[in-house]
Amino acid sequence: MRIELLEKIEGEAFLKFQKDKKIITDVKVIFPHYRGIEEILRGRNPWDALVINPRICGICGHAHLQATAMVLESIFQITITQKAQKIREITRFCEIIQNHIKWFYLVIFHELGILYDFTKVHHLIITINKLLALFSGQWPHSSYCVIGGVTCDPTSFEIYQAKTLIRQIKDQFIQLIGELHDPLNLTNDLQKLYHTLQEKELLLVGKSHDRFITFSQDSHVSNIKLLHGQKRKTKLTLIEENEQKRSYAKNVTYNGKYYETGPLARLMQQTDPFIRYFHRRFKDSITTRIIARIYEVSLLIEKIIDHLATIDLSQPSVVESKMQDGTAIISIEAARGSLIHQATIHQGKIETYNIITPTQWNLSNGTSQNPSVIQKAIIGTSDEKIANLIFRSFDICSVCTTH
Amino acid sequence: MNREHLRSLFTTKSARVETNRGEAYYARLYEQCKARLEELKKIEPLRKISIKEILEDEGVSRRDFLKWASATTAMLMLPSSFTPLVAEAAELMTRVPVIWIELQDCAGNSEAFIRSDGPKVDDIILEIISLEFQETLMAAAGHQAEAQLEDAMEHFKGKYLLFVEGAIPVGPGREWCTIGASGETFEEHLKRVAKDAAAIVAVGTCATFGGVPAAAPNPTGAVGVMDIVNDKPIINIPACPANPANMVGVILHYVLTGQIPELDSLLRPKFAFGYRIHDNCERRAHFDAGEFVEEWGDEGAKNNFCLYKMGCKGPMTFNNCSIVRYNESVNWPIGSGHGCIGCSEPGFWDKYAYERPMADANIKMAPGGGVEKSVDEFGLGLLTAAGVGIAIHAAASAIAGKKSEGEE
Repeated sequence: MRIELLEKIEGEAFLKFQKDKKIITDVKVIFPHYRGIEEILRGRNPWDALVINPRICGICGHAHLQATAMVLESIFQITITQKAQKIREITRFCEIIQNHIKWFYLVIFHELGILYDFTKVHHLIITINKLLALFSGQWPHSSYCVIGGVTCDPTSFEIYQAKTLIRQIKDQFIQLIGELHDPLNLTNDLQKLYHTLQEKELLLVGKSHDRFITFSQDSHVSNIKLLHGQKRKTKLTLIEENEQKRSYAKNVTYNGKYYETGPLARLMQQTDPFIRYFHRRFKDSITTRIIARIYEVSLLIEKIIDHLATIDLSQPSVVESKMQDGTAIISIEAARGSLIHQATIHQGKIETYNIITPTQWNLSNGTSQNPSVIQKAIIGTSDEKIANLIFRSFDICSVCTTH
Repeated sequence: MNREHLRSLFTTKSARVETNRGEAYYARLYEQCKARLEELKKIEPLRKISIKEILEDEGVSRRDFLKWASATTAMLMLPSSFTPLVAEAAELMTRVPVIWIELQDCAGNSEAFIRSDGPKVDDIILEIISLEFQETLMAAAGHQAEAQLEDAMEHFKGKYLLFVEGAIPVGPGREWCTIGASGETFEEHLKRVAKDAAAIVAVGTCATFGGVPAAAPNPTGAVGVMDIVNDKPIINIPACPANPANMVGVILHYVLTGQIPELDSLLRPKFAFGYRIHDNCERRAHFDAGEFVEEWGDEGAKNNFCLYKMGCKGPMTFNNCSIVRYNESVNWPIGSGHGCIGCSEPGFWDKYAYERPMADANIKMAPGGGVEKSVDEFGLGLLTAAGVGIAIHAAASAIAGKKSEGEE
């Protein structure tokens, strides 16, 4: 039994390996932190959740903020305007993009020892946050998203500024990663990554169940699970969350099975030839998983450009809301996959609030008959360094998981 | 409560910081800083990077750099004659080691720090700062990272600035929060790393006052750094997240003077927390004119009216967001139409962080209070009175507004 400590995952985690003649036969993931956000929420005014929940995570807090607004809108039976919807998507996509780029370089390139231009990466990330803050006020932890819509009321001047910024972002991204049209002709840093994986013979490591799940619906994804290549609509009611011994992170399954969520799951439900090519060659290995995450950036940049071109500024930013009691469960796509918020409001106060984070899907601890996504991906590896890389290919968020 | 009374309420002397310390003081400080910088120049830099080269590579002219230095000098509340010294201090930043540890946090301050806003020069300065240990930024991880921390502590004994992000749980269940392979609790870890620090900078509201984990009922018994460490100079930079401009400001000030900046009673640097959001808010004129947003998305909201009635906590929140702003100064919360939530004030989760004006507050209290009494009572007393006053003020100004329209 060996314990390997991992950091740089927005918090810490431990991997406990069991080995038999050098081969890893079992692995358990332990998150040694806890803050008790769900306990803190109990008994408060529902509006307070909008301020508290973003603080669950410093890198995907925006998704938590929007999930909170959505779950409360669902309980209060409010439909927000298309304009508010688009603004929320623009900012959330920005958050996802900057997360992916930061992870690609600070985690994966560091891990593989590939050199890169830190200053260029840094400026790209800053420009993305600037675009985000144009609508949200600041990043991380903004408060512009409220029940019924958003508080910002952009004029055509801000939209023009945003268009300029997204153009800069697109140019800087292409300079770093290259044009992503032809999977057989990778360039720039993506080519560097591919060659490094090839040289180190890592192209095929980290395969898991090849089962994918997404619960949200927005302009980028639908609520679809993929099992043996079959697409099915997902229902939030079939999710099961179970406590684990010795860790504050809970296990989570869908209809008794573990599924992978995240960029790869999101892209696998589309018929995108770029990602399909890598999936055909390498299945759900780290190669496909890493490339999916960085490729998603290029798709989201186009989505933002499209939203900025089609936003109708004459619509209201906020619609009126009236508090009422009830229960709802919703899902929204965060950087690392489907994020689920569930709430019950009773007599105008939060009675229960439950949060299931993407990392819980990917990093549950199953049994040897029914291993989780991460266990399946790691078991059978002989090298702990590679196991560590596989672990990081999921882009782990410990602070989210131990909310 | 008439308008005069209200005005006096929000412009009392106590709410201002007298920043001018007199010529003799600055002359002495200037000499002290010069001597300090001479001393630093003698030290071998920790990293072989020169800011001059980086600036040239980045296409930042000397003139832009001096502009930044002059803006930073003003932010640090020093006379403009200090600008060349601030510029020099920036060039010597590689000689002051910084260690950054994360405890019960969400990594939001690290995220903010590595996306430092303010002028472009700040970003470059962050690249040359001698960050000896920062989990998110460094290449090492796991056991290797632990070894790196040990090395840095040993090598820079008594010299390093320790940045702490996140709260420290001391209640039941604290054993859930451990760090590293040794299973050290956060409290043990903080004490060990703090022991040989020159000074400690608590960044973010969690590290300063316990922050969100300390919100009622405070399940893990979370507290701030100053509740644990009592034998070191501590600088608190609260806010959620803390503004990276203030982090850079504190480091620069330390490089420049060898001392920590002047602090208020909550150990916050006065240069950043010496005035309220309300004092320099871009919507202040609307407050004075009695023009308020009454409902999200109403005409007032479209015209950037004052957000006080929507629960803005600007009048009782000390911070410089309204001047420094965020993300390369592109915007700040009030700029996006939402009031200040008071995130840099102690216990703000239980006192301020909700969408209602203070007068209608219905606050969930931790068992045994759980928030600082003095600030709390002062704030609540002030606000309830003000809330009533504002309503009268708003009504009165609406009538006055109508009159003046009629006259035109």
